[in-house]
Amino acid sequence: MSKILSVDDSKTVRMIIQRAFRPYECTIKEAGNGEEGLAVAAIEKPDLIILDITMPVMDGVTMLTNLKKNPELKDIPVIMLTAEHGQENVANIVSLGVRDYLVKPFKDAQIVEKAMAVIPLQARAEAVPVG
Amino acid sequence: MAIPARPISRTPGRAAPPAPKVDYGKKFGFAPMPESVRLLTEMLAKRNANMEDFAKIVAIDSSLTERLLAAANPRATRKEDYRTTTVEDAIQRVGMSFALLLAMSEPLTLAVYNTFHTMLSIDLTTVPLKDMEPFTDEHVLGEVTFEGKTTGLVDIRLPSASILLFGDRLLGLTPDDLSDPAIGNDVVGEMCNMIVGNFKSNLCDAGLDCKLSQPNITRTTDFNLQAVKGGTSERNAFHAEEIDFFTDLSVNPWVDCKL
Repeated sequence: MSKILSVDDSKTVRMIIQRAFRPYECTIKEAGNGEEGLAVAAIEKPDLIILDITMPVMDGVTMLTNLKKNPELKDIPVIMLTAEHGQENVANIVSLGVRDYLVKPFKDAQIVEKAMAVIPLQARAEAVPVG
Repeated sequence: MAIPARPISRTPGRAAPPAPKVDYGKKFGFAPMPESVRLLTEMLAKRNANMEDFAKIVAIDSSLTERLLAAANPRATRKEDYRTTTVEDAIQRVGMSFALLLAMSEPLTLAVYNTFHTMLSIDLTTVPLKDMEPFTDEHVLGEVTFEGKTTGLVDIRLPSASILLFGDRLLGLTPDDLSDPAIGNDVVGEMCNMIVGNFKSNLCDAGLDCKLSQPNITRTTDFNLQAVKGGTSERNAFHAEEIDFFTDLSVNPWVDCKL
């Protein structure tokens, strides 16, 4: 079963991610900032990280930089999920190595579609997939 | 004897051509900023705004021209009653700072529409301020400030009942779930974050680099339009079947200029 880590300081966004992936055979782990995100990633070794940028304590860009420096975590694919889409900012983040970039506001189906391009996701037998 | 390796050059004597610039907007599907707003904001960022060029750019945008003429004719209730009828005269009347504010509020309005449509399935319309009842009792205020090459703030003023609507539409939460104010604040805060984050990205793309504060969500009875130091402010009103609300934008576009 695939494991996804959602790193966002907004509980609302983490709840939306939980809802979006509920119809699929996967587990969702959560973290409220980059520091927590690195700690959870080290323990859980997720198959995918969905990462916000602007967060207290440690922002998403710093977390991504640290993730890529860690030999055990550097190959975990990352999808950025953020309201920030300034070209220079995006270019900087893409150069750090992210698999995809989704701008908030977003529909559940959009984040699921991007995740499916990175990890295998099977629909739960009892659920109707999003989108 | 080992021969030291020489670097391979495909085109001897020439530097490698620069990598082509990637359009991340196209690559990842970001909504583009209106052309007129981009040009005006770039002009502002380069600090070379002059009346003639400014008026030419405004004139190609019918929506911005309409708002500018309306601002320059505050007493007129119909276009036929306008005394100021050209873009240049209107800019002279309201001032270039206010005209810039009108231009900059366009991406904010687009971000409001887009966020409500995508996250809440609510299609908004803008409403003339005179047709909206001001909030006289306590309401929810979401405030985000930005600082950098331009300075300002965005206030989003929502009726208290909007928290129930947002919680229901966004997450299927019940009034009981939302009895904890922290949950309601987080929902409103994330809506503000999405709206202002998009607005800020448009400013950065036009050369007005700035940083956002975290959204601050409070309850207030103060309905006054706020202004940052040296800035101008504008209020816009929005309506949908279930919600009427306001956005206030205050900007000091000349913050790093010695006037």
